[in-house]
Order: sequence, then C-alpha cells, then structure tokens
Amino acid sequence: MGIPVTPIQHQPKPVHASKHSGSLFNYTLKRAGQSLITVLIVITVVFLLMRLLPVEGYFGDGYDKLDASQREAVLKSMGLLEPWYMQLKNFYVDLFRGDLGTSIIFRPQIPITEIIGPKIPYSAYFGFAALLMSLSLGLCLGVFQAREKGKWFDRLGTGYVVFINAVPAAVYFLFIQLYATQAFKLPILFNKDKPSSWILPAICMSLGGIAGYAMWIRRFMVDELNKDYIKLARAKGLSNTDVMFKHVLRNAFVPMAQYLPTSLLMTIAGSLYIESLYSIPGMGGLLIDAISRQDNPLVQALVLIYSTIGIFGLFMGDVLMAVIDPRIKLDKKGGAR
Amino acid sequence: MTTKKNIEILENQALFELANYDASESERTGYSDYSYWGSTLKVFLKNKTAVLALILLGVLLSFTFVQPYLPGQRDPNEINLSQETFRQLRNVKPTSEFWFGTNSIGQDLWARIWRGTRTSLMIALLVATWNIVIGVIVGAVWGYVRSLDRVITEVYNVLNNIPTTIIMTLFAYMLRPSISTMVIAMCATGWLPVSRFVRTQVVIIRDREYNLASRCLGTPSTRIITRNVLPYLVSVIMLRFALAVPGAIGSEVFLTYIGLGLPLSTPSLGNLVNEGRQIMMIASMRYQLIFPSVVLSLITISFYVMGNAFSDAADPRNHV
Amino acid sequence: MVQSILSAKDVVIKFSLRGRVLTAIRGASLELYEGQTLAIVGESGSGKSVFTKSFVGMLDTNGWVESGSIVFEEQDIAKFKGDKQWSTIRGKKIAMVFQDPMTSLNPLRTIGMQIQEVVELHHHLKAAEAKKRTIEILTDVGISSPEDRYSQFPHEFSGGMRQRVVIAIAIACNPKILICDEPTTALDVTIQAQILELIRKLQEQYNLTVIYITHDLGVVANVADQVAVMYAGDIIEYGTAGDIFYNAQHPYTWALLSSLPQLGIKGQPLYSIKGTPPNLFNEIKGDAFAPRNPKALKIDYVERPPYFQVSPTHYARTWLLDPRSPKMDPPETIKHMREKFVRYSV
Repeated sequence: MGIPVTPIQHQPKPVHASKHSGSLFNYTLKRAGQSLITVLIVITVVFLLMRLLPVEGYFGDGYDKLDASQREAVLKSMGLLEPWYMQLKNFYVDLFRGDLGTSIIFRPQIPITEIIGPKIPYSAYFGFAALLMSLSLGLCLGVFQAREKGKWFDRLGTGYVVFINAVPAAVYFLFIQLYATQAFKLPILFNKDKPSSWILPAICMSLGGIAGYAMWIRRFMVDELNKDYIKLARAKGLSNTDVMFKHVLRNAFVPMAQYLPTSLLMTIAGSLYIESLYSIPGMGGLLIDAISRQDNPLVQALVLIYSTIGIFGLFMGDVLMAVIDPRIKLDKKGGAR
Repeated sequence: MTTKKNIEILENQALFELANYDASESERTGYSDYSYWGSTLKVFLKNKTAVLALILLGVLLSFTFVQPYLPGQRDPNEINLSQETFRQLRNVKPTSEFWFGTNSIGQDLWARIWRGTRTSLMIALLVATWNIVIGVIVGAVWGYVRSLDRVITEVYNVLNNIPTTIIMTLFAYMLRPSISTMVIAMCATGWLPVSRFVRTQVVIIRDREYNLASRCLGTPSTRIITRNVLPYLVSVIMLRFALAVPGAIGSEVFLTYIGLGLPLSTPSLGNLVNEGRQIMMIASMRYQLIFPSVVLSLITISFYVMGNAFSDAADPRNHV
Repeated sequence: MVQSILSAKDVVIKFSLRGRVLTAIRGASLELYEGQTLAIVGESGSGKSVFTKSFVGMLDTNGWVESGSIVFEEQDIAKFKGDKQWSTIRGKKIAMVFQDPMTSLNPLRTIGMQIQEVVELHHHLKAAEAKKRTIEILTDVGISSPEDRYSQFPHEFSGGMRQRVVIAIAIACNPKILICDEPTTALDVTIQAQILELIRKLQEQYNLTVIYITHDLGVVANVADQVAVMYAGDIIEYGTAGDIFYNAQHPYTWALLSSLPQLGIKGQPLYSIKGTPPNLFNEIKGDAFAPRNPKALKIDYVERPPYFQVSPTHYARTWLLDPRSPKMDPPETIKHMREKFVRYSV
C-alpha cells in the first residue's frame, strides 16, 4: 500500500457506462464530463482545505522575525487576505494560464512549473522502464501461474505476491538498497551519468507492479478458465496452448486493460519512496521534500497534479475498456461479464 | 461376482424376499451433515500456512499485551545510562541485558518494539473497525434508500477516482501527527470498498431469485438475512478486516517515511523502521532496522495470509 | 443390423475433491449404434454428463477414468492421455454441444471466427476457403444472412440463435458422434422444438450418431432410438425407446415413468420418488436405488445386480429379473403402458 506508482490496487470495478446504452462516443463524452467534474471538485476542495492551514506555512523560516504589519504585507502580496471565493477565482484564473503558483520555502519565489518541469523526464524514464518490466514479467509470471495452478511454480509466485502485498514497500526497498548494492557492487545513490546506478531503482520500482499484474492476470485467467466457453473451446479440439492464448489470455486481459493508462500516466509521477531513497531528482522525491519543508503551495500543486493524473488514467482506462470489449456499449445491465 | 462368498450369497434363497422399507431411510441416502461454519473451519484448518500464521499471530499478539507485565522489562522511553560513567548507553548491540540492543539515545529496542507493535496494531485495528462501521452504514443506506442511490453513487465515483494515497497524505498533512489524526487520515477513503460491497449485498437481498423465492414461501426477512446473506457478508467483512491491518501498517510506515508520522516518544513500527533507516549505512547498527522490520513483516504477512485463507475457506465453492 | 460405433464397458470414473475420492461412474456400460440417437436420462447428479465427457477426454482435471474401456474406431480412448492423442478425436470425430448457449461462446470474438477456428484446425483450410465453409455451415444451421452474422458478436444473438452457432461449431468438421448435453434446457419451449428439429435434420444431412443427455422424458420420446437410464453413476436399464417406455423392468425406471404427468392415469395422484440420490462419497453396496424403493428385496442391500437380458436389445440391472425373485407387480402406469405395448406389437 501507499505508493501511488503501484498501479493495481483497486478492485476491478464495473464500468459505469454499462448502465446506459448508447454509442461509444456518447459514453466517452459522459465519462469525460464526469472526470472533469471530479477534477474541479478536487481542485476546489484541496484549495479550500489548504486555506484552513495556519498562515505560518506561508512564511517559511522567517515568520518569527517579522512583525504583524510585515506579515500582513506578505499575506497581502500573496493575495491571501482576500475573501476565499476571490482567492479561489484567482487560483482558477492562474491555473487556466498554466500557473501553479510559486514555491515559498523549498525554492522561494520560483514558479512551481519551473521546479517540476526538469523533474518530469527522470520520473518518466524510470517509470517507463519499470512499467515495461512489470508488465512483461508480471504477465509472464501470472500466465504461467495460471497454467500451473496448484503446482510448485504457482505457489512460489503466490508467495512472492503475498510478500510484496503484505510487507510495506519501504521495508523491502530498504533491504534491497542495503544488500543488493553490496552484493552486486552497484552504487547506492543515483547519478545520472553512471548507467549502473539506474538498475536498482528501476528494478525496485517494478517489484510491486510485477506482483500486481501477476496477481490480477492469474485471477482473471483462473476465472475465465472456469467458464463454459472454455469447455466448448476445448471440446472443439483446440490444444491447451491455443485455449490459453487465443481465448483465456485474451479475455483475461480485458479487465487488465483498464489499469494500463493509470500505470502509464503514473510513471510520470514517479515513485515516492524510490526517488527519495536513491536521491533521484524526480517528482516523487519532490513531494516528500515539499511535505517535510511544509511548502504549502508546492504540496497543493503536487497533490493536484497527482490526483489529476489519477483521474485521467481511470478515465482513459474506462474508455479503453469500452473500445476493446464489444459488450459494454450494448449491455443494459451493470457490469455483467 | 466370482468369489466364493458371493456365490454363497447368491444361492441363499432367503435373500430374495422383500426387505423392510423405511421411508426415513430413503432420505438418509443423500444425507449430508453440512454446516456452513463447520465446513469453513474445516477447510481453513487444512491450510497449513494459514494455521501457522494464526498461531504465530496469536503468540505475537498475546505477547505484546503480556510483555509490559513481565519482570525486568524497561520503559520504552527510558534513556538507559551506564552505571559507571552515567553516560547514555547508545547503540548497544544486542546483549543479555538489552535483547534487541539500544537505539541512538540509549532506549531499549526490545521494549520499544513491543510498545510499537501495540501502537501500530491499535491504529490498524481502529482503522479496520472504522472502515467497516462507516462502510456498512453508508452501504446499507446506499442500498436501501432508493432515492439516495444516485447521489451516493456520484459521490462514490468522485472519491473513488482520486488516488487513495493522495487523500491520505493530504489529510495527514493538514492535521498534526497523532494517533487519532493518523486513524482519520487512513479512514478517509478506506470505507469506500466496504460500502460498495455492502450496497451490492443489500441490492442482492432485495432482488436475488433465491431470496425472492424464499420470501414467497413465507420465510421471515430476519431468517433470510441471517441464513442467506450474513454468512457471506461476515466472511467478506472478515477478509476486509484482516487485509486492512497490513494496509494500515503499510500506510503508517509510509506516512512516517514522508515525515508525517508519530513523534518518537510514541514508538510505532513505522517510526522504528524509519529510525533504523537513518543509520542503516553503518553495518554494525543495522540490527536497529532489522529487528523492527522482521517483527513488522511477520505481523503483516500473517494477517494477509490468514485473511486470504479465511476468505477461501468461507467460499462455499471450496466446501466439499 | 446396425453397427456399433462406440462401446463403453465397465467404466469407473473417480474424482478427488479436497483429499476425498468420489466415485462418479460405477462400472457403467453402453453400446452406441451408428446413425442412431441415444438418449441418456437420469436425475441431476446421476453422472450423465461426466460419463459422456469421458468420451472426449474432457473430465475436469481432478477426475480420471479408473478402469473399464471405451472403444471407438478400434482404439481404447479410455487409455488416452494428453492433448495430442485427444486432438485426433475431440471436435473432429466426437463433438459436443453444451447446455447453456448464453455462456458457451467466447463473448469477445466474432461468431464467425469461433466457427472458422475449428474448420481451420481440423480441415487445414486456408482462411478464405475456411470462411466460405463457415458461411455454409451457418446456413446449414438455419441462420439467415450468414455473411452479416459472420462478423457479429455473441451478445448480438438471441439464445436460440446462439445454440445454433454452438451446434454449427460442433458439426463444423463432420464429426461421427454428436453429444448434446441438455441442449434445450436453457431455452424457451418454442425454441426447444426448433433446435431438436435442427439436430434431426443435421443428423440426416451429416450422417451423425447423436447422444442426448437429458432429464426431459418428453424430449426422449420425441427423438430417441435407444434409451439408457442412469442412476447414481450407473446405467441401470438400457434398450430401445419402445423397450424402455413400454416394457420397463427396473424399479427406478418404473418410478421415473410413473412420475411423468403425461403417462399418469386420470383421477390418480401423480407419483413422486421419495428420498434423495445417494451421496457418491460413500461406498454404495448392492442396488443403489434400494433405499428409495419401497419394494426392495433383501438381496438389493447385499449384492449389486448384474445385467439381465430382457431381449436382444434390452438389458436391466435388477434382481427382479432373477428367476428366484418373487413376482413383482409394476405400478399401474407401467402396467397400463405394457398393455399398450402388447396391443401395438400385435
């Protein structure tokens, strides 16, 4: 639990659209509207919640050195003395122009977009490498587990999945950093010029994903295997391998497809733990810094970015599902599968 | 057919007489002494890993509560001083005096780990309980009150769309760290899946054919609920409860890691691991990371394994 | 004389369920004649499906054929192991149609592809030819505008239409034997007759031997040449439809027929069989039906009856056919039917 980069933690949920018949276009439109409303609600609520925090948070270390009138001047310059609805309006106007505000403590007076901009590539590189690894290895693991259901390979895989899911990520990340660096003579901290320093963080980042994909693809495949159409496919004379790949895997992949966009997008956001453990200058480490330095505008901006990415990912996932599953458009009942 | 005994039997003319027919006997041919909870228990006990996890958990839990009353235990926040030099006994490696060693200011790690386990478990159990209480209430209202269905569904969709971690982080950031704020932060979204599940169940109680049939035959609602719905509901709730514990412990570690954890004067598994992390690069002090990590992993894995084994066992499809 | 095409002898099938072993089929024997229609009847759980699944090697993974033989085309297919051996039989020589057409088709592939897959697999045709053949088959099973239907998904079909597609898949490679596992149970009554008619038509066109698995004696009376009655994993009576309907010998068959409303005598209450079928986890001693049979003999509890021959086409497993048994009067309904039988055969 805990790190937003681990893609598959939610229960597979029935697709909202299935309640309403209609074309794919209408569905996409409706779902887009829903997501947009969610984003607006989140932005508004987060912004208002942040206003409830004590104003000290906007001064950094200098709070005690200032007298009351100076404090007021600072607050005024930041627009914090206006009524809340005006502040909200200003915030939206700025947001519309692509301005997320300025940092106050982490890097005072620097626009947040400028702080985040150079960090995105690092998170994206690692995220992408981790995504590729977790997808390929996770799917392989899950498929073979489903094929070998109940045998030792399946048990081994299940053991791995249980371990990764049960033990908090921070704990095994620490031990990997501690012992793997020694065992394989790998650098302990990230250095963008040293290729060997890329290996461990990328592997660590994919561990959760591998477990997640393996678990779900195994579960979906086992579910599919018990269905009647598999009996018929076997009665047709198809070999086990054909049944597995042409029917089971294909169908089991459909519910998985829902999560792909989320994990793809979350790669940009990076992993909070890994980036800070290995000192990778990415987005995930930034959130931790911002929190520990109590830089309110930066925290606010990052929370907004993360939630927007998450919401957008779910939206894309639902649309992707509707595209690849021919039933969803016409089914009138909810989420029947 | 060909054995000697068989031939003897076949030659016995007396056998070709009508046997006594007992109508109740005919019912017994297919008789089964199936009972739901009995079978659940039986299937659960067959899973050796789960039984091991249960025993381990039982021992760990009871020890956590007994430990402070054992003789010769130290206070987890007491700073131990050397008897000769009166200096703090910092980073003492495990000895017969300090079983798990001491930390960087001379506090007994053994005592801190057990107090920390208690704190973390308390948080976890509170979170699990609250998630289920809120989830069941919201889910029941959601399912029963048809006029509220649309509203709650939309609210659910909004909340469910936001990454859980972000909501939790935001809550923890806004409230100052303490046990209760931590519980609130973790409960902020934890009840969502429970409420969804309960709502589905309520709808099923209303509409599933076998329940309608049962109702048509005059079965009172209370009996339908206790017999048809509750067993399944209870087993899934137990699963959620069991999985909420490793989840909450993980969240606690996470919040501590990003700097929103409990103060060091309230030892918890989260801040013990975090403390250990800060000095893990010194090989001789790694025990401060290893001991809490091992205890923590044992607890989370046990809960996870047990929860899953129980939900497998509670699934009637796995009953013979 | 009709030729035997498949012959099963003393087949025992077991399953292991969570460490316990269940005997699903207890030494059943069966003779299947070419071009004929056999109906296997029996209540749920009597082992009808399991028995026929063993003809195509489709027992669930926890089940196995313990002993006995199933001879088809001079091979003992009961000894078959693994996909490779079965691929010469399954789908190609012996095909199956399942009960529920709503779930029998892969929801994510077009029905055309699902039929074509079989055609390509067994006939080794190129895609274009295979498609042509697929459309022919669709026409054969009575689907109108097959070119358009070819690229549609299962959810765009009604239940009856889906069952036609399932049948199309089954006959796609000219099998010798078609096993229909309750093919009409999940369908509307009006559709049921259509499907039965379709299978009859295809049977002639493709020269099929058909096995129906059903608990609907109405269907049996309509379609069957031969009837096998199953109880608790055993075939307890076997004969032509006439033998079974008009000259039944086993008390279970009597009970089964007596509980048919159509055969009931006006003014008399309808018969129903008391009790429940035996638990297959327990060892069954003697005649499995004895505990539910008000007129069971003592020996029924001691020793399992062998097959007694009633006529060249008619066998039954009941001690009542032993010369030492007391003369037992069948129930009214059966007597009634026998009288009819005598009248007809004269």
